[in-house]
Amino acid sequence: MTAAALIIGQINDAAQTATEAAGTVGGTNTKALVAGLLTGIAFGALLQRAGASSFTMIVNMLRLKDLTIMKFLFVAIATGSVGIYIVDSLGGIGLEANIGIAPVYLLALTVGGLIFGVGWALAGYCPGTALVAMGQGKIDAFITVLGGLVGAFTLVLTWDYIQPTLEGNFNYGNKSLADVLGANPLLVALVMAAAIVALVLYLNRLDTRKKATGSPGTDKPGAVTSSH
Amino acid sequence: MPIGITWRGTNPLHADRCLNIENLLMEVVMSATEIDAAVPESGAASRRIGWLYGGILLGILNTFAVATYAALGVSRNYVFVDGLLLRAVGSDLPTTNTYLSQRIPTSFDWLVMLAIGMVLGGFLAALLKGGLTTRAVPRLWASRFGDSRPKRFAAAFAGGFLILYGARIAGGCTSGLVLSGVAQLAIAGFIFAIAILASGILTARFIYRGRAS
Repeated sequence: MTAAALIIGQINDAAQTATEAAGTVGGTNTKALVAGLLTGIAFGALLQRAGASSFTMIVNMLRLKDLTIMKFLFVAIATGSVGIYIVDSLGGIGLEANIGIAPVYLLALTVGGLIFGVGWALAGYCPGTALVAMGQGKIDAFITVLGGLVGAFTLVLTWDYIQPTLEGNFNYGNKSLADVLGANPLLVALVMAAAIVALVLYLNRLDTRKKATGSPGTDKPGAVTSSH
Repeated sequence: MPIGITWRGTNPLHADRCLNIENLLMEVVMSATEIDAAVPESGAASRRIGWLYGGILLGILNTFAVATYAALGVSRNYVFVDGLLLRAVGSDLPTTNTYLSQRIPTSFDWLVMLAIGMVLGGFLAALLKGGLTTRAVPRLWASRFGDSRPKRFAAAFAGGFLILYGARIAGGCTSGLVLSGVAQLAIAGFIFAIAILASGILTARFIYRGRAS
């Protein structure tokens, strides 16, 4: 790594720490705002084209009837992981500040995740895909966004009561899998990507079989009774 | 605004490196949507981008976002909008409330613009490639619970409430903790991913129990 790259990295880190203190993410200058908007447009368009903003695709994924979106998400994670840690290993751009590993609040993650899952299956959208589906004009997605605003507001109002329990116990710090294993993050990312590829190939086989024999009632014994 | 001009690429001398990469990326995304997806489904689905190309593109976009500004994330923005609305009605909660005052910014940042972009991206992709709709009740929902709009809206609202309440407890959603978090190898991401899939799968199987397809 050159000295210049190191200096750039440090400046970037310092700027990042300064903005993080105010709770902002990714900067507030015009360039950052335009870049955020464009990245969001690409993100939204991609989710829409992949079918991730479809109620049916999400719910059928959770019902394990059509794993398209699960495969899409897993491939994205594998590609992103290798991509992020390749760029990170090139060094010098202060990427560590951009990565920002989330803290392991075991209780908050588990309780929050279980609540999230129930809402996910009910709404058929997650916070991001609800925005995309709303952009497409889907009225129920707009209602989900409204519910989300009220849910977020309720969290704000109840935070002082639940925070000590949720974040005060079982806090294991900002750990990544590479930290835990004491291994090179790029190596861990590559191994994880390989594992994901194997998993996706397996899921794809299940999915193809399911769709090939996909006439109602052939895959699950319980389904037969429902046609009556 | 000078940045608006350089973004359109009218002046290559002043072209901003980041924004040009972004331009290029949009082109890749839009052209890749031409690929006829190998998804064996009927109707609208046949014009979709396949999960493999789509997933690879999303992984590249995620890498690009982290390399330029920050990881993709959505759920914090719902609290940001709450803060905006509260300030608009003159509430003092944004300064007195612990969560709002300590964790939520008062100015627009990259992450807020990402969410606005997602709404636009959904609209533009559907406008260009088909998929604009004003449907209120999904067919799958109707096949289980009927055509009633109030019924569907109640579930959509309750679902929205729960996904945001849960996401803000955990500190992220499918974007921040799963798509970005697991890609960053965050232990938190793995835990949250397992929790939402377990809970989501159980709930969906319960809600749609007895339905064949």
